[in-house]
Amino acid sequence: MAKVSVLNVAVLENPSPFHSPFRFEISFECSEALADDLEWKIIYVGSAESEEFDQILDSVLVGPVPAGRHMFVFQADAPNPSLIPETDAVGVTVVLITCTYHGQEFIRVGYYVNNEYPNPELRENPPLKPDFSQLQRNILASNPRVTRFHINWDNNTDRLEAIENQDPTLGCGLPLSCTPIKGLGLSGCIPGLLPENSMDCI
Amino acid sequence: MRAVALELWLRDQARAASVTRAYCVAVLLELMNKSKVDVIFLFSLFQASQFFQLIFTLTEPSSQLEDKAFSGPAIDDTKLGQDSGKVVIWNMSPVLQEDDEKDENVPKMLCQMDNHLACVNCVRWSNSGMYLASGGDDKLIMVWKRATYIGPSTVLGSSGELANVEQWRCVSILRSHSGDVMDVAWSPHDAWLASCSVDNTVVIWNAVKFPEILATLRGHSGLVKGLTWDPVGKYIASQADDRSLKVWRTLDWQLETSITKPFDECGGTTHVLRLSWSPDGHYLVSAHAMNNSGPTAQIIEREGWKTNMDFVGHRKAVTVVKFNPKIFKKKQKNGSSAKPSCPYCCCAVGSKDRSLSVWLTCLKRPLVVIHELFDKSIMDISWTLNGLGILVCSMDGSVAFLDFSQDELGDPLSEEEKSRIHQSTYGKSLAIMAEAQLSTAVIENPEMLQYQRRQQLGQGGTAARETGATAAVAGVVNGESLEDIRKNLLKKQVETRTADGRRRITPLCIAQLDTGDFSTAFFNSIPLSGSLAGTMLTSHSGPQLLPLDSSTPVSFSASKPPTEPVATAGARPAGDAVSKDSVNATSTPAALSPSVLTTPSKIEPMKAFDSRFTERSKATPGAPSLTSMTPTAVERLKEQGLAKEPRPRDVLESSSDSDEKVPVAKPSSLSKRKLELEVETVEKKKKGRPRKDARLMPMSLSVQSPASLTAEKDTVCLSIPAPTLKLPMPGPQRAFTLQVSSDPSMYIEVENDVTAVGGLKLSRLKCNREGKEWETVLTSRILTAAGSCDVVCVACEKRTLSVFSACGRRLLPPILLPSPISTLHCTGSYVMALTAAATLSVWDVHRQVVVVKEESLHSILAGSDMTVSQILLTQHGIPVMNLSDGKAYCFNPSLSTCWALEWTGSDSPGPCLLEEAELKPTSAAHAPPRRQLARSPFTSDPAWNLVSDKQDSLAQCADFRSSLHPQDAMLCSGPLATVQGRASTSGRQAARLFSVPHVVQQETTLAYLESQVAAALTLQSSHEYRHWLLLYARYLVNEGFEYRLREICKDLLGPVHCSTGSQWESTVVGLRKRELLKELLPVIGQNLRFQRLFTECQEQLDILRDK
Repeated sequence: MAKVSVLNVAVLENPSPFHSPFRFEISFECSEALADDLEWKIIYVGSAESEEFDQILDSVLVGPVPAGRHMFVFQADAPNPSLIPETDAVGVTVVLITCTYHGQEFIRVGYYVNNEYPNPELRENPPLKPDFSQLQRNILASNPRVTRFHINWDNNTDRLEAIENQDPTLGCGLPLSCTPIKGLGLSGCIPGLLPENSMDCI
Repeated sequence: MRAVALELWLRDQARAASVTRAYCVAVLLELMNKSKVDVIFLFSLFQASQFFQLIFTLTEPSSQLEDKAFSGPAIDDTKLGQDSGKVVIWNMSPVLQEDDEKDENVPKMLCQMDNHLACVNCVRWSNSGMYLASGGDDKLIMVWKRATYIGPSTVLGSSGELANVEQWRCVSILRSHSGDVMDVAWSPHDAWLASCSVDNTVVIWNAVKFPEILATLRGHSGLVKGLTWDPVGKYIASQADDRSLKVWRTLDWQLETSITKPFDECGGTTHVLRLSWSPDGHYLVSAHAMNNSGPTAQIIEREGWKTNMDFVGHRKAVTVVKFNPKIFKKKQKNGSSAKPSCPYCCCAVGSKDRSLSVWLTCLKRPLVVIHELFDKSIMDISWTLNGLGILVCSMDGSVAFLDFSQDELGDPLSEEEKSRIHQSTYGKSLAIMAEAQLSTAVIENPEMLQYQRRQQLGQGGTAARETGATAAVAGVVNGESLEDIRKNLLKKQVETRTADGRRRITPLCIAQLDTGDFSTAFFNSIPLSGSLAGTMLTSHSGPQLLPLDSSTPVSFSASKPPTEPVATAGARPAGDAVSKDSVNATSTPAALSPSVLTTPSKIEPMKAFDSRFTERSKATPGAPSLTSMTPTAVERLKEQGLAKEPRPRDVLESSSDSDEKVPVAKPSSLSKRKLELEVETVEKKKKGRPRKDARLMPMSLSVQSPASLTAEKDTVCLSIPAPTLKLPMPGPQRAFTLQVSSDPSMYIEVENDVTAVGGLKLSRLKCNREGKEWETVLTSRILTAAGSCDVVCVACEKRTLSVFSACGRRLLPPILLPSPISTLHCTGSYVMALTAAATLSVWDVHRQVVVVKEESLHSILAGSDMTVSQILLTQHGIPVMNLSDGKAYCFNPSLSTCWALEWTGSDSPGPCLLEEAELKPTSAAHAPPRRQLARSPFTSDPAWNLVSDKQDSLAQCADFRSSLHPQDAMLCSGPLATVQGRASTSGRQAARLFSVPHVVQQETTLAYLESQVAAALTLQSSHEYRHWLLLYARYLVNEGFEYRLREICKDLLGPVHCSTGSQWESTVVGLRKRELLKELLPVIGQNLRFQRLFTECQEQLDILRDK
């Protein structure tokens, strides 16, 4: 929760052809004006097996953020097909929206994405080499997976000490606890590993 | 569903106590909360109808009309929740009414707040119900307020029922504790918030100005685990693991008593030690005490803190004691003899043995004992506001609700009766005005109604009905529907590129956040500490204070190498400017500071200072307070810096001193404790040396020895032998530089004994104003100089005073002074000269008139070894003397003209005779200063008015905090504030409730405020006059002094129908009286009992306006 809480993420233009850009309309609420910008990222998980194939589709700074409710549309280009393993092109994968403040990630919203050929013929007999122009992307908008992390919203260091379960040495500021989330959706959630705050809503 | 075994012990068969309903709210929890919040504690709560009745007058009426009453918030328990720190606010109506429980449309959980970083140990509603304070293991206290701007919000990724129906925002995070916060408590009427922690301290927060800390109570040597306020606000009690219970006075935050005897035997620890004070104030009941190896709850009598009684019966340690907020009296049965029975209190005791007992102070045995209520120890207890319901929570994660009938407990006394009891016992009830009485008054005037309404709105009452608000707020922004916005969002949103080429989106704001002003709940008052002192220091418009300092130059030259013949003022900046300037810079960097310097920082101490200086200037950009020094001065400075060991150290010391004080200028960002410290250091400084204020003109060399920094001021002050009144004179110096103002940058350089042609010795006066320079020469050596933006004047050795315009034009022929000059001072076009023979003259150079002519200081200095410590000249040419005994006098030219023939100034030539003394010096801003021609012989010195007295006991006792608004405090700066600087802190000491009996307090407060108004008037400080007048009026309104209020209004209003013979002046110190009255009206409108007066004034003003 902390200073910024995300109220809603609406998936626009869904389903859409594989090459069309992602569009998310994000509403969030800020309880007190932020000194610096928020950084939002869209990460496309190319392959469930490895983080290697993750693509950061785009990252934007959002600001200034005074106290109140705000919304914006985050648009990012489609993933580069050449970076996606051919075996993983068709099927279910994940797209992540993350937000960081001062380099610390405090929320991560994940969606299942299903890429399939709308054409029944292609679906029956998929070409050996995936034909991305024929693929349709369908985001399972009704089931976002949300993970929240406690971060240090102020600059003063004493607050950092107060944060439990967070490795203070983390250069990037990412709490360790995010790691298990990485393959989210595919590996399913392991309750014990989830950060305490995560909302399970599936 | 968890089965709850309830075992009722009906001790008193006649009363047949029964727990009519006992709910295990945990059941609800499990149903509702999928995220499995482990343990829920419920605390105070407001039952629907009662809440409405009681809170109605305090908050916005419509707010709590919802049948969903507030529920107590719930929190996670330490042991079960890992680090959740969630606070949940529950709806009570499903608990109270079965129908609501079944109704799916009635929300069960109203809000979840998970801002805490670790488990929460305690949550408490403020008495007004507007705020919620929570404290936890993250060492933080968070203060929550209901946000009204927005409807329910959904939490992304959660199902609908988890949505927050109500929005509670954390409005303050209080950081000070170094360990887990165990308990928090709001003082009666919410002026203070106390918190205690395992760091062994109790912290008192200013609830009106979070995060200001008023006091940190140290004394416990163990974890402090419980707090309770005396219901009349005189004490606060804390209980700790160190086997002691301590009672602290709120007057001075010192320990009143420490009670240890009942706790001697205590072994083991309990999670909490929540003690409680009875609502009538007579008894304090501790948690976990031992009596003959049996666990008890010790009863401590207020009278003498006797410990003769206890509640016995629990088998394990008592963890929680909680008094019912109501005082009860026996129910009068029909037909039975109406014996006047004593009112009694009701107390619930919870223990580690998992049982709960409820006691009435009129019974020897408990009213009811419930065993096995929970699986684990009881953690907290809360009574409903009506006193008939009780919520108990346990470490096992469940909360039980029990309700009683009036037959069982008795008839609760009304708040009025309760306040009457307080009043009779303690002199003054906290309820300054019995609002209950007033609420029945009929509002006769629609305007009045508006003010009343506005006032209530201003208190930030809680929201309108959620259901309605939801649709409305979420639906439309600026008349545009959310749908429309969303359609065009992508097109509309502003996207830019940052310098490094990244995309940056400016989000569209769809709802404002109400940042909810934190101030004025009904009785909220502002302790004077800090706020006023802060403003004093930051006053920009303060006139110049001139400390007279004769001893220093002596010591200075004495410490100089003998090779240097004269201690020149040019050398002065060496240490002096550093320390002095740093002092000034802290208070108002933008304000005029005296001889400031930029030094080529070759000298070590300078360097040290330099860095500080840059830091500071970073913090306050646009405060160019640097001036250059003549190269010679720098040279000399360098010599000294190298030659003298002690001096650099002093410099460092004083600059570090002042460094600490930086925050004074911006107290909001600082914790109060620090601030207080700061203020104290400032005070100390002031004591040690002449006060430095915004536009102080120190003439002293302030850096000599560390001792002199803290030495009593008197040592620094000049001493005047009473009969002759010989004031010190500045010795001739070779050269000196004087900073007149920093914005525009203006300084004066004086060089004596410049050899001119023909061996003639001349003195050169050089003035530099924003780069423009002029020079002139004088035949006599210049002893002292002064300047303002309009004039520059110098006094020479030959007792002449020369005055120049800002451009260097000689304005007057040299004025011959009756005796050598002691101090020279300029403000605006006024020049003030104090001679060594203690006579004072003030000229208005612009009009070329004498304002004060050779007035002797005899009358104010006579008879004692008093000395003049500071001199001040206001913008209106009124001289003010600060004496070493802490008194300040101002010379009132218009009073001195009693019975005197006078000119009314240059614009209306011809004498006119004033028959009577003007008691009020009217509008000097407009009327030209009067020129005295003669003075009556029998009014030797009638014109010295006492404007300030540090030792004034009035100021000590005055308590007008309830009339003070935070924004007002900001306005209070000016000559009076400058003179009185210290009064603010004495006010702090005094500004506690019940320091003196109420009547005395009222009188002293009135007297104090009146004298402040009069003093501001005398000083012709319109700004301050307005401030004090409004404050005074507000106090009158609050305390209900009708006659005085009426008189003020009458004077301000003046005659409505103009008659020629009217003596009424339409302005006072340059302010239009009727405008002032208009400002007063809203204040008057706040108290319903003045509605007649309000109406009268309003109508007459309307008539006047229409004319």
